[in-house]
Amino acid sequence: MLERAGIPAVSLCTDAFRITAEAMANQLGFPGYQYVALPHPIASRTEKEIDEMTRDALPEIVRVLGGGLTIRPVD
Amino acid sequence: MTSAEEPPVIDDAPLADPAEVRRAMEYYAERGWTDGLPVVPVTESYLADFLATTGRDPQEVLIPMPHLNKNLTVRLAAINAALAGCLPEYFPVVLAAWDSFRNDGMVTRAIWQSTTGTAGFVVVNGPVRQRIGLNCRGNVWGSGFRANASIGRAIRLGAINGLGLRPHVFDQATQGTPAKYSCCIAENEEDSPWPALHTDNGFSADDSAVSATVIRSVLHIEARHTTAPEQLAADFADSFCRTGALVRARASGYVVLNPEHARLLDKAGWTKQDLRQSIVEHGFRSYRQLAAAGKEAIAGGTGWRLPADHPDAVGQQPPEDLDTPVQLINSIDAVHIVVAGAPNAGVSSIVETFGPFDRPPAMTKVEEKP
Repeated sequence: MLERAGIPAVSLCTDAFRITAEAMANQLGFPGYQYVALPHPIASRTEKEIDEMTRDALPEIVRVLGGGLTIRPVD
Repeated sequence: MTSAEEPPVIDDAPLADPAEVRRAMEYYAERGWTDGLPVVPVTESYLADFLATTGRDPQEVLIPMPHLNKNLTVRLAAINAALAGCLPEYFPVVLAAWDSFRNDGMVTRAIWQSTTGTAGFVVVNGPVRQRIGLNCRGNVWGSGFRANASIGRAIRLGAINGLGLRPHVFDQATQGTPAKYSCCIAENEEDSPWPALHTDNGFSADDSAVSATVIRSVLHIEARHTTAPEQLAADFADSFCRTGALVRARASGYVVLNPEHARLLDKAGWTKQDLRQSIVEHGFRSYRQLAAAGKEAIAGGTGWRLPADHPDAVGQQPPEDLDTPVQLINSIDAVHIVVAGAPNAGVSSIVETFGPFDRPPAMTKVEEKP
């Protein structure tokens, strides 16, 4: 929806929701829409694990977003 | 109709080509237009019988689902009522149920896509119950009654086929609930000592009305042991407040009270309001009990319960006395009473809802075309 409005965006979901993510893309007229799938689950991970997961996912998030942004390293 | 004692026989069933019947059944199954059970084939002429029971435009939208590019229209609701096995005269009840689901607001907020896995819950009041044969007495949760079974199923098939909420795709329920097949009851107004749910909410006793919301569980309450109203209320409140069901800060739901419990309470001078108020008064757990399950704090943003040491927990300090009660039912409007079942034992049930916590249930008058 944001991208339809001209705002660069990237969708994230965990791999448990891939089927739904792809069905959603088709339903809204964007077959093949690129999103980033993170390892499942999220809710039961510690803050540290979430930080690590975020760090691992950042390059792919930036790639899907279109690149060209300067990323400040996570402390 | 043959006698209920007679076992089913097939040698005098209407003549139809079994292969053709199976071909029709498979046509719907192959397209995924079922809940897993066979559906009734629907033709335009059969559909017209359903649409003739209402003055509403077939293209009128009952449930908008813009994020999925879907709208459940009157026509789609009728197709799915027919597929579910409803008779055309049930359709005004199905329409009133969909109106109540829209006004309730949970379905339009995509709750049926959620991992929680809720089912639709429909309660029917008023004279339409007898006209279409809705069961409100023994075995009220089913099965065995066409009107209850097929009206509840019409809602589920409407969700699958009208809104596209198929399991594993847009219905992401982790486990779901058996109530997803069908969940429609009627109030046993005749055996109840109290005014009915719809007359409590501004409808006339001559009106028929349908309430609807979403539920996760129906809990069995075995309470043949007491004639003390306070003990019964405490027993119900205990089930409402079980930690397993506590997603949000508070609890809500229905007591589906069997007529024997209702009469016991009435004989002791209790009204429905008294029972609701007593459930509110008993509607707490101690901080210590909540903490034992890791549900003593509330998350910022979602408002979900979680442990106090979770990074999302906001603004709450443990009380000095860990046995301090934490109120989980704050209003009588979080607890609704329906009398249903046979007057033959102290067996009732609790229906766990996701709200509303502070207002009456969504309820719609059944409009039958003259």
